[in-house]
Amino acid sequence: MLTRIYEQVKPILDSFLAGLIGLAMGAIIMAIWGYAPLDAYDALFTAIFGSFYGFSSTLARATPLILTGLTFAIGVRGGIFNIGAEGQVFMGALAAISVSLLSLPSGIHVLVAIIAGAMAGAIWSLPPSFLKITRGVHEVISTIMLNWVALYFGMYAVVEWLGDPQRAEKSISAATTSRLPIMVSGTSLTYALFVSLAFSLLIFFLLWRTTLGFELRVVGQNPAAANYAGIKENYSINSTFILGGLAAGVAGALQIIGHPPTYALYSDLSTVRNLGFDGIGVALIGRNHPIGVIFAAVFFAGLNVGARTMQITAGVPLEMVRIIQGVIIIALAAPELIELTNQLLPAVRNWINEVKTS
Amino acid sequence: MPKTDTTEETDTGRTLLRAEGISKGFPGVWEHLILNEIDFDVKEGEVHTLLGENGAGKTVLANILSGFYGSTAGKIYIKGEEVELNSPQDGLEHGVGMIHQEVMLAKPFTVAENVALGTDDSDFSYPLDKVEHRVDQLSENYGLEVDPTARVGDLSAGEQQRAEILKVLYHEPQVLILDEPTSLLIPQEAQQLFKVLRGMADEGFGIVFITHKMEEVMEVSDRVTVLKLGKVMGETDIEETDEEELTEMMLDEKIPIRLERKEFEEQSVSLSVEDIYVTGSRGNTQLNGVSLNLHEGEIFGVAGVSGNGQSELIEAITGLREIDNGRLIIEGKDMTDASPREIQEKGVAHMPEKRREIGVVEPMTVGENLILRDYRDPPFSRLSVLNRSAITNHAEEIIEEFDVIAPDIWKSETRILSGGNIQRMILGRESWRAPEIIIASHPTHGLDRRAVSHTWELFIDLRDRGSAILLVSEDLDEVISLSDRIAVMLEGNVVGIVDSDEADKSELGMMMTGA
Repeated sequence: MLTRIYEQVKPILDSFLAGLIGLAMGAIIMAIWGYAPLDAYDALFTAIFGSFYGFSSTLARATPLILTGLTFAIGVRGGIFNIGAEGQVFMGALAAISVSLLSLPSGIHVLVAIIAGAMAGAIWSLPPSFLKITRGVHEVISTIMLNWVALYFGMYAVVEWLGDPQRAEKSISAATTSRLPIMVSGTSLTYALFVSLAFSLLIFFLLWRTTLGFELRVVGQNPAAANYAGIKENYSINSTFILGGLAAGVAGALQIIGHPPTYALYSDLSTVRNLGFDGIGVALIGRNHPIGVIFAAVFFAGLNVGARTMQITAGVPLEMVRIIQGVIIIALAAPELIELTNQLLPAVRNWINEVKTS
Repeated sequence: MPKTDTTEETDTGRTLLRAEGISKGFPGVWEHLILNEIDFDVKEGEVHTLLGENGAGKTVLANILSGFYGSTAGKIYIKGEEVELNSPQDGLEHGVGMIHQEVMLAKPFTVAENVALGTDDSDFSYPLDKVEHRVDQLSENYGLEVDPTARVGDLSAGEQQRAEILKVLYHEPQVLILDEPTSLLIPQEAQQLFKVLRGMADEGFGIVFITHKMEEVMEVSDRVTVLKLGKVMGETDIEETDEEELTEMMLDEKIPIRLERKEFEEQSVSLSVEDIYVTGSRGNTQLNGVSLNLHEGEIFGVAGVSGNGQSELIEAITGLREIDNGRLIIEGKDMTDASPREIQEKGVAHMPEKRREIGVVEPMTVGENLILRDYRDPPFSRLSVLNRSAITNHAEEIIEEFDVIAPDIWKSETRILSGGNIQRMILGRESWRAPEIIIASHPTHGLDRRAVSHTWELFIDLRDRGSAILLVSEDLDEVISLSDRIAVMLEGNVVGIVDSDEADKSELGMMMTGA
């Protein structure tokens, strides 16, 4: 009985353990470079949990990360290594700005913007899917390349087509009718959070309660068995790409219509950059589970938000948080490491005993 | 002070390698030991053949003699001296080299590079020229034509095997063990190989040749040892025996019981295979124009030593392998180019040979695996939404009826189940609908006696209710007990179809081995 409970909560425990390892390693590195780790962590966690404002900022930051985390998580479930969320976010954001040029009633306009973003993300996921299915091109190569295409296309689009006539460095802002209302005034937290949460639940339902999700997971775990079961592998791979693209596209849209105060893109795309790549880390920490991704995104976002406070109050450079995030992901990505220590520990203990007795 | 062997000298030559009382396995764990007190030897200048069915323990013995595996008990003497072989390197150092059935070369590298991989006299330098030169010499000496600078991946199966032999010869062994070396070769290549082996034996090598093909035994051996279920059934000079005697030694002597069943009346054809040709995974032709008809209410057995095209036949019938030529007709409809799903939807159930590999998705739950091929249909899903309670009920029924031991339908990963339990899951999943056609591959392999008889009853019951069952099994007893008719496959052909009532085990055995 106990072992069964253990089996169930093991992934969660692993993630927690990795988080602790990351924080501990961060502390050691800070100590080596002469910073005060305790002060730094005090600042970090006060920033995240110490104030309503801080926690709201964390949730705002987590909003797009939940979705980009889902992109990668869906990919892993469906057997593809999809790192195209970055580019799909850009395309989603551009689409959301574009449709804000329309004049529509407010409720519908929000919906249209989200759908436009989702579609743009999904469309941007089609070339890698097509290349993989027809030509066997590995998705890591094709999605990385398309990320760059999307980046420069986005920069060009913001300057050439969607530029704000009054302010050269940014695009026009989303129309007020297409904006999501702010939830906590003074912060950038909007009702976009609920869109992300709803999307997570939707993906959870899709993966474990529908035939499409069933097919997708069978293909992801065992393509040969999928073929035996009469599942069309290519169809499933394509669905995996499209679902991931939808999630990333929505993330891009939300960064426009749910991201005060500007509700716009800058010409360097700074407000939407790295969301896709951070999503990979979020998915890994969240164990590629739609619900796990929510908590992982909040954790990841908290570190990002708290890092600034840490820099100001404890004088620890912002990049320290990146180190901590890196260590956490390494710790998670290396369960073999844990296996190895499990094997080595008894051996070491025996050796010590032998030395003692002899 | 090493112990010396006293029975060293004989008239044919020195005993190069001798094994005494080799055992492998643990009593009580399996029904029999993998190897049970095997005595075996090979002398200078002879080809000593190890003959036996699949699972007799030939490969395990060879691996022990060459140092790949350790043994549970027993001693190995090389030229009269007791040795302990803990690794293939140990074996090579003592002059014993093994050529495995599957090619064990790094495909992106050249032949010479592969040979160099196994040597340890090149700490820093990379004396490829030297290796190439030596390989050239060896290949000329023994008539093993291979270009040492060719990439292994570009070579044919025969060339790869010659490269493998050269790789071993580079270490100058005295005993060469070849595990079913002809299984990948075309007949001409096999002939060439036999000539090489003969020549090497004449030069003083001791050759251990493993096979299950009778004609090869007669052609190449000086001496034969027959293995069955881990035991030596006999050892004899080739001149003092014949194919019939060897076949009898290879097979079991007990007479299979025919199970009671309804009278078989030839009804309509459910599935027919018309002159099909299929290419195997290695690019070689695996089915050479196979034809057979499967009737409603009939169990049609396919007997044969594994690797003679049975797997490919099943894959072709179930849509998992492309049919190059010929036709597949299911319930009167041409399904030659149909997908696995289309064939399944035509009412064809499939109990695959590779259970863990394709029969189930191991990381998924027991409940999910029990609907692996039925999830699209109501009541398990409606409008694409899975119905958990219907699936639970269904899973509970199968688990109950087939004695599957699974801790929890929705929490246990199928990975944790034993092979027998997985097979019972598959049996249940593929038979509960009483499908029109069942393609069963080794359905009782690995099951305990109770489960075997349960499965046999199930098959007979399904047959009596009108299912057409194609049964592929290596277990001759099972084939004879269950089938109405039996086809024997050899080298991608059906070499004969007999009525089970008139089937005789040793006759089938002769057909299986091509004797």
